[in-house]
Amino acid sequence: MADDRRSRVGLAAALSLPATAAISLGFLLPVLWLARMSFNPVDSSGALGQGWTAHQYVELATGPFYAELTLASLKMAVSATFFALLVGYPIALFLHRLESRWKTVLVLLAICPLLVSGVVRAYGWIVILGDAGWINSMLRGIGLIDRPVRLVNNHVGVTIGLTESLLPYMTLSLLAGLGRLDRGLEEAARTLGASPLRTFLRVTLPLSLPAVVLGSTLCLMLAISAFVTPRLLGGGRVFLLATEIYEQALVTLNWPLAAALAVAMLALFSLVLVISGRLQRRVAE
Amino acid sequence: MLVRTAVVIAALALSTSVAQAQPSGEITVMAYAGIFQDKYTEAVIKPFMQKFPQVKVNYFTAGNSAQMLGTLRTQRSSPQVDVAILDVSVSNVGNKEGVFSRLDPARVPSLRELHPMAIVPDGFGPAVTFDHWVLVYDAEKVKPAPTGLADLWDPRFKGQIGLSAMPNIQGIAATVLASKIAGEDHKTSIDGAMKRLKDLSPSIQTFDPQPDGYTLILGNTLTVASGWNARAQLYHDESKQRLGVVFPKEGSVFQINTINLVAGIKNPEAATAFIEYALGREAQKRFTEAMFYAPTNAKADISAAAMNRTAAAPENMAKMIPLDWGWVTTIRDSWNNRWRREVIAGR
Repeated sequence: MADDRRSRVGLAAALSLPATAAISLGFLLPVLWLARMSFNPVDSSGALGQGWTAHQYVELATGPFYAELTLASLKMAVSATFFALLVGYPIALFLHRLESRWKTVLVLLAICPLLVSGVVRAYGWIVILGDAGWINSMLRGIGLIDRPVRLVNNHVGVTIGLTESLLPYMTLSLLAGLGRLDRGLEEAARTLGASPLRTFLRVTLPLSLPAVVLGSTLCLMLAISAFVTPRLLGGGRVFLLATEIYEQALVTLNWPLAAALAVAMLALFSLVLVISGRLQRRVAE
Repeated sequence: MLVRTAVVIAALALSTSVAQAQPSGEITVMAYAGIFQDKYTEAVIKPFMQKFPQVKVNYFTAGNSAQMLGTLRTQRSSPQVDVAILDVSVSNVGNKEGVFSRLDPARVPSLRELHPMAIVPDGFGPAVTFDHWVLVYDAEKVKPAPTGLADLWDPRFKGQIGLSAMPNIQGIAATVLASKIAGEDHKTSIDGAMKRLKDLSPSIQTFDPQPDGYTLILGNTLTVASGWNARAQLYHDESKQRLGVVFPKEGSVFQINTINLVAGIKNPEAATAFIEYALGREAQKRFTEAMFYAPTNAKADISAAAMNRTAAAPENMAKMIPLDWGWVTTIRDSWNNRWRREVIAGR
């Protein structure tokens, strides 16, 4: 019996070996390399040295700018996730309830923005939201404004762009989670005299909470690490962890600081995952 | 016997000098992509290969200067690139890290003909192109044309300005010019520059024009932006003069590309021959006339028409503000933070 179990464990280990090797080579090694890079020294001329120093982490912990960056990244990620949830929830609920042969087509439509590159979509938003874009032209046309409102090249533009880029992920996660929502429970609530709003608040919403937590976690992670949208729509006014990593790595060439920021971001991800895991368990109970 | 030995030595010496004069093999030159690649290939690389038929030159691109140095850093043990053309602020870092080697002045005689500002300390790769900070504007919409950075405070430009901020090196040039407007020496203080740029901040549409200021002006998003002369001149021609280019009345700052010999390469002879060719009068003339980078070889005989569109025109040269890019690296972080806090966030 024990022998049997041992051989099964051995077989499992042997079977998982290729995957373990692939993950180690493709993911763990680069992350370890990154962690090692974050301890390299950089001299005042910007030259990368050899050796060990914790200078970058001291800089991160003591420089007020990095605390602001982290907070700004979190704020941006939370607001974009919130708006994506606000827009994505009704879409997912509608698609979930739809009983039509067009359902598959509509689901595909909801996620088709993923087929277009993020860069192209960001340029699309620049055209729509710009001073001469159609939103400003429309507002001017109906006489609401006489000077263009700045909707891009600032935080507003980045929030709009990020929300749109998160929407397909949010809709898909919600749709997957809503699968366990039993239509019969809603009908029972209505039969027992609950108003549609009450049914939604007391039955539909609580039952869909696990899906909400799942979708929000995924979107938060994507939003914190989003780089293209803030870079293209931020107009140099939006400073986030991801854009800072880019600048340190590819403009000012401070690889150790970029690596330390990346490690800090990884820590932030872990924190989000832990919190989301707890929430997930609580809403499931 | 003695005569025979002397003949053998002479023959050997001759053969080595012939070998030196006739480099061969394959080398890879790394420089910018896009229009730079097209023009540089036509103006310098092809003529070099015609002159030295035994050398094949490959052109390799890896993004901006910092990305190029990043590529070289990862290839330290076996370099795949022999010659790199990149921004001086980045090549300085490469020189300190030992990514590049010093040039042998005996094999690069053109070094003696270079402009004094083109020389990099300690014998490392010198400047191969000079570019300078300019204002570009929509010549159809903006009348009269702006004359310098100081004009941007004019309310007629409100909301239509693209000014590349730091850490982009255009932001460094803008700081130096704003300091000059404020009547201060940027080496001792940029307080006046920061205050003035902060006042300008609400008028600025973007501090990071994407993909660049020239395109945004021609696409009707901006009417005025900061830029670099060489590309601005090309867009000026391409847009049939719609994109106007202004050498600022305050003066300007050089952007310098250096040409560098990568350390530890297999074929330094051919690579050095290429560097010598690129710095020579002939290549400098052709590339300036093709792309309006000012020549770094002071003896290059540039046509007057091309010369007047570069910083090398005497009236422009007199207005250039000297800027030590090696020194800039040491203050870049503090200037960058001040831009973010004082200019962009307006605190």
